[in-house]
Amino acid sequence: MSDSAAAPTSTGIDHKKLIMWLFLASDCMFFGTLISTHLLYRKLYPTGFTDAEGHVRFVQNLFDIELTSFSTFILLMSSFLMALAVSAMHKGQIASFRRNVLGVILFGLIFLGCQVYEFTHFYHKGLTIQNSVFGSTFYVLTGTHGTHVAIGVLWLVLLYFYSFTGKLRGHIGALDVEIAGLYWHFVDIVWIIIFTVVYLVEYLGPNGIWGSAVATITP
Amino acid sequence: MATAAHHAPVTDKTELPVERSDIGLVRPDRTTGLLDWLTTVDHKKIGILYGAFAMFFFLLGGVEALAIRTQLAKPNNDFISAPMYNQMFTMHGTTMIFLGVMPLSAAFFNFLVPLQIGARDVAFPRLNAFSLWTFVFGAFALNVSWVFEFGHLQGWFDNYEWYSKLVYKDFAPANGWFSYAPLSGTFGQADAALHAQRFTGVGTDFWIIGIQILGVASLAASFNFIVTIFNMRAPGMTMMRLPVFTWMTLVTAFLIILAFPAITVALIELMFDRQFGANFFNPTNGGQPILWQHLFWIFGHPEVYILVLPAMGIVSEILPTFSRKALFGYPIIVFSGAVIGFLGFAVWSHHMFTTGLGPVPTAAFSLLTMAIAVPTGVKIFNWVGTIWGGQVRFTPPMVLSLGFIWMFMCGGFSGIMHSSAPADSQQQDTYFVVAHFHYVLLGGVLLGLMAGLYFWFPKIFGRMPNATIAYIASAMVIFGFNLAFGPMHYLGLTGMPRRTHTYQTGFGWEQWNFVATIGAYILGLGVFLAFANLVWTAWRGKRAETDPWDGRTLEWSLPSPVPAYNFAQTPVIATRDAWFEHKHGAARIGALSDGGPEGVHMPSQSWMPLLAAVGFLMIGLGLPMMSMGIPHLGWLVIAGLGVLFLGIWLWAIEGPGGYHLKTPSAKSVTPTPTASAHA
Repeated sequence: MSDSAAAPTSTGIDHKKLIMWLFLASDCMFFGTLISTHLLYRKLYPTGFTDAEGHVRFVQNLFDIELTSFSTFILLMSSFLMALAVSAMHKGQIASFRRNVLGVILFGLIFLGCQVYEFTHFYHKGLTIQNSVFGSTFYVLTGTHGTHVAIGVLWLVLLYFYSFTGKLRGHIGALDVEIAGLYWHFVDIVWIIIFTVVYLVEYLGPNGIWGSAVATITP
Repeated sequence: MATAAHHAPVTDKTELPVERSDIGLVRPDRTTGLLDWLTTVDHKKIGILYGAFAMFFFLLGGVEALAIRTQLAKPNNDFISAPMYNQMFTMHGTTMIFLGVMPLSAAFFNFLVPLQIGARDVAFPRLNAFSLWTFVFGAFALNVSWVFEFGHLQGWFDNYEWYSKLVYKDFAPANGWFSYAPLSGTFGQADAALHAQRFTGVGTDFWIIGIQILGVASLAASFNFIVTIFNMRAPGMTMMRLPVFTWMTLVTAFLIILAFPAITVALIELMFDRQFGANFFNPTNGGQPILWQHLFWIFGHPEVYILVLPAMGIVSEILPTFSRKALFGYPIIVFSGAVIGFLGFAVWSHHMFTTGLGPVPTAAFSLLTMAIAVPTGVKIFNWVGTIWGGQVRFTPPMVLSLGFIWMFMCGGFSGIMHSSAPADSQQQDTYFVVAHFHYVLLGGVLLGLMAGLYFWFPKIFGRMPNATIAYIASAMVIFGFNLAFGPMHYLGLTGMPRRTHTYQTGFGWEQWNFVATIGAYILGLGVFLAFANLVWTAWRGKRAETDPWDGRTLEWSLPSPVPAYNFAQTPVIATRDAWFEHKHGAARIGALSDGGPEGVHMPSQSWMPLLAAVGFLMIGLGLPMMSMGIPHLGWLVIAGLGVLFLGIWLWAIEGPGGYHLKTPSAKSVTPTPTASAHA
C-alpha cells in the first residue's frame, strides 16, 4: 500500500514482496527452533506420554492419523485455491478471486476446527501441557502453527471485505493478494514438515505401527 | 491512494486541506512540536529519537554499573543488599545491550542508511515509526519493574492480598542478562491454577515480555533496512559501491532476522513454563534446562556481532576520512564482515564449554571460535593499512576510532584465550570474562558509537560539538575504562567469581577492586561529559559547515541539517566514495531531475504505528502484573492484543497518503563542491 511500492526498485522486486520473503526467512528460523525442541525431546523421551489412567502410552496410541491426514489434505487444497485466487487477481477477475479466497477461508477454518477437536480429544485422553514434556512441545508447536493459520484466515477475511470497497485492484491489489498468498503457502509448507516429523515418523521404527514393541506396551 | 493526487507542491503540509483516511480519521500534518515527534515518519527524526532514548538508557545503565562497582569497592560491603545487587547487574546488562547499544546503532541506521545510498526515506516509513515506539514501550515495560521494586521497598503493597501470596519478592529482573533456566524457570508440579513453583519473582516476567517486545522492534526495523538497502539505492550505487557502514547495517540486519527467532521461541517456552505450567525447562517433569542455554546462545552469540558490526562500520567510515585515503581493501572488509556474520551462527557453544558437551563438539566449537578471529584480524589490518601513509588528522572522532581499534584488539586477544576450551574452563564465570566482554563491548562498541556521534553530529544538527571537551571526555573514557577493566583480568585469573555480591578479605582482591571502582567513576564521568557536550551542542553549539570533515560519502553533499526530502534530485553515482571524488576530481555525481516543478513526493505522518505500539505496552505491563496475581489484569493483556490489531488494521486501510513538497530551484540543488576550509 506504499506509493513507493509502485516505483521502480534497484532489484526489480517490489518492496512489499521482498519484505514478506524476509519475514518468511525469519519465520523459518522460528519454526525451526520449535520443531528442534520437539524432536530433541522426542529422542530423549521416546516412550511418549502418560494417559488419564496413569499408563505410559506410545504416541501413536494417542494420534488419530486419519483425522490429521484429512486436515493436512484440506490445508494442501486450500493452498491450491490460494494459487487460483492469486492468478485471478493478476488477471483482474475480482469475482473469481472472491470465490477462491472464500474457499481458502473455509478450508482454513476446517483445518482449525480439526485442530480444536484434536486438542480437546487429546486433553481428554490425558495429554496436557503440564503433565509431560511431550504435551508441552506438542501443544506449543502445533498451537503456534494454528495461530499462524488463524492470522492468515483473519488476513484473508479482511482482504475479502476490502475487495468490495473497489480499492483492491491493479498492480498493487494483485501484489497485496500475492503477498498474502506467499504467507499462506509458507504456513502450508510448515505444516507438511510438522505432519511428517511430528505425526508420521511416530509410525516408523521398532516402536512404530509395524514394529514389535507396540503390542507389549499397550495396556 | 486518492489522497496522493497531484496538487501544486507546498513548503509545508499544513498549507493543504486536512487529509482524511477512508473512514474519516484526520491524519496529522504538523512538522514541528510534540505532535510531529509522535507521528513522524521521517527517518532522520526517528533516528534522532532512537539516539536520544538510547543515550538516556546508556546513562541509566551506567548508574546501575556504578552501584555495582560501589558495592564491590571494599570487602564485606553492604552498600546495596544482595537481592538488589542481583537486580542491578541483571538490569545493567540488559539495559546496556538492548536499550543502549542496539538502539544507538539503530539511530545510525535510521539517520545514515537512506542518506548514504541516495534515497529519500526508508522503504516502509510507518513501519520504521512502529519499530521506534515498540522499542520505547518495550524499554518502558522492562523498567517499570523498578517502580514495583521501589514500591515493595517502601511497603506500598503491604495490605494487598496478592502481595502477601508472593513467594519471591524481587520485582526487577534478577537472573542475569541471559536468564539461565532453571533459575528463571520453574520446578515441581503445576497447581490447580496451572502455576508451577518458581525460583525467581516477577522480575523475570518483566524481563521475558520486555525482551520479547524489544525483539519485535528489532525484527521490524531489520526487515525494513534490508529492503531499503537492496531496493532503494540511487542509480549507479551498486552493492560494491555501498559505504561500508551501510554494508555492516545489512549484515547486522540479516543477523537480527535470523537470530532473534531463536530467543523469541525460547522466551515463549519460558513464558509457558512460568504462566501455564509447561515443562520445557522444568527439571521435575523431564525438562532440560540446558536447552535454554543452547537456544539463548544461538541467539546470544550472533547478538554479539549485532552489537559490534555497526561500530565496525562507523570506524570504517571515520578512518578513511581523517586519513584522507580510500579505505584499504574495501572488498575484503565487506567480505570479512559477511564472514563474521556467517561464523557468528556457528560458535554459540563456546559459551557452554563447562556444561560437558563432550570432546567432539567442544573441539569443533573451539576451532570455529578461533576461525572467527581471522576475518576480525583482517579488518584490523585493513584499518591500519588505511591509516598508514595517510594525512592523519586527530579530530575527536578519529581519536575515539583509534581507541576503538586498540581496545577492541585487547578484547579480541582475551577472546582467543577463551576459545581454547581448557583455558576457558578456568576462566568461566570469573571476572576475566567480565573484563573480556567489556573490552569488546565498551572499549569496542561504545568507543565506536561515540566516534560516530561526534563524527555525524554536525550533519544531524548542523552544529559542531566543542572539541576541547570532546578530547577531555575521550581521554577520561579511555583512561577510566582501562583502569576499571584492566585489573579485572587479574582478579578473574586469581579466582574472583563473576556476579558475586561481595567478597571476604585475604584473597588479595581488595586493592584491584578499589582501583576498578575508581576507574569506573572516571569512565562514568567521561561518558556523561561526552553526552552532555552533545546535548548542549544540539541546542547551543556553533554552526557547522555542510562538509566540515571533508567527508567521502553522499550524506556530506547535503545541507545541515538535512532537509525533509534529503535529495532534491536523485543523485547518479559513478564510483565508490563518490562525494570525495566529485569534490576533488572529475564530477562523479550526476543528478536525475525528478524533483523539479512537481516537487518531491513525501509520505504522510500517522498515528497508527504509535497506536499499535501502545498495544504492546499494554501487553508488556499486563502480563507481569497478571503474573503477580493482581486480579483482572488478564483483561489488560487481551485489550492490548485488541489495540495492536486495531492499530495494524487502521494502518493498513489508511494507506501511505502523501503530498508534494517544494524543493529549491534546480540550479542550487545540483551537488557542487562546497568551498570548505579543508578542500
